[in-house]
Amino acid sequence: MSTGDTEPIPINQHMRRNPPIEGEAEAITKAQNGDSEAFELLYSLHKRRVYSLCLRMLGNIAEAEDLTQEAFLQLYRKIGTFRGDSAFSTWLHRLAVNVVLMHLRKKGLTQISLEESLEPVQDDGPRKDVGARDLTLAGSIDRVTLERAVENLPPGYRLVFVLHDVEGYEHNEIADMLACSIGNSKSQLHKARMKLRELLRTGERKEQAV
Amino acid sequence: MTDKRSFTKDTTKMDCAHFQERLPELFESGADLGADEHLRSCSNCAALVRDLEYIAQQAKLLLPLHDPSPTVWTNIQSAIQRDGVNLERENKSPVKHP
Repeated sequence: MSTGDTEPIPINQHMRRNPPIEGEAEAITKAQNGDSEAFELLYSLHKRRVYSLCLRMLGNIAEAEDLTQEAFLQLYRKIGTFRGDSAFSTWLHRLAVNVVLMHLRKKGLTQISLEESLEPVQDDGPRKDVGARDLTLAGSIDRVTLERAVENLPPGYRLVFVLHDVEGYEHNEIADMLACSIGNSKSQLHKARMKLRELLRTGERKEQAV
Repeated sequence: MTDKRSFTKDTTKMDCAHFQERLPELFESGADLGADEHLRSCSNCAALVRDLEYIAQQAKLLLPLHDPSPTVWTNIQSAIQRDGVNLERENKSPVKHP
């Protein structure tokens, strides 16, 4: 396992991942007026990120494709209501996140509200790291290892981690998407990173023991 | 008589707990963590900060790589054509693009 010796950058200096896309605004207007080619263009511009979000949240290709389909059908129904108050990708992601959360509720979280579904059960929480012996992760994580660790995060942590650290959304955008507070988004992200550290360190210890 | 070593250890633990409670806000504020007094004297918390920064950096490795299969678009098209009436669009609002 190796990823080279790149220096960690400050955690708050996050690169934006959703810059405006050339031709998108025009395609939105045309799609709002029923232009099917414009809708197809929007699909091709955003299918990868929507699918990736669904796949990370469900860990199953068939389900992820079903939900990607559902998200774009919802887009087709609702595109007329997009007013441009937020970036289109943020708006579409909010829609996709709702589709994913609805699906997760149907699978077993039916009694849980959106805010609560973002709160993992107590046992899943990361531990405070007071007095633990040191073992730094720097230089030791590759894509596959991290991907596996993310899969093992509780859904609420995973969603905020993917939206912020992977997709590059800001906390205010995530709060808007998930209908939660900015503080809640920040707190979930921190807990997600702490839990990931725990999972990655556990993995390293197991490897060293072999 | 107070055990000096245990007192120091407890104080350090309290400092660590306090520091880690503040950590989410410190990260988000963009503060220079290298200048933090506790961090300069606590190797455990320094390692924690390094790890969390490293995890956030490595998360970029997870950018989407795969597209859904072509079947997804075929199904979307079919659903729109088949259920066109049921998929009646919601009211349009005046468009205001950024």
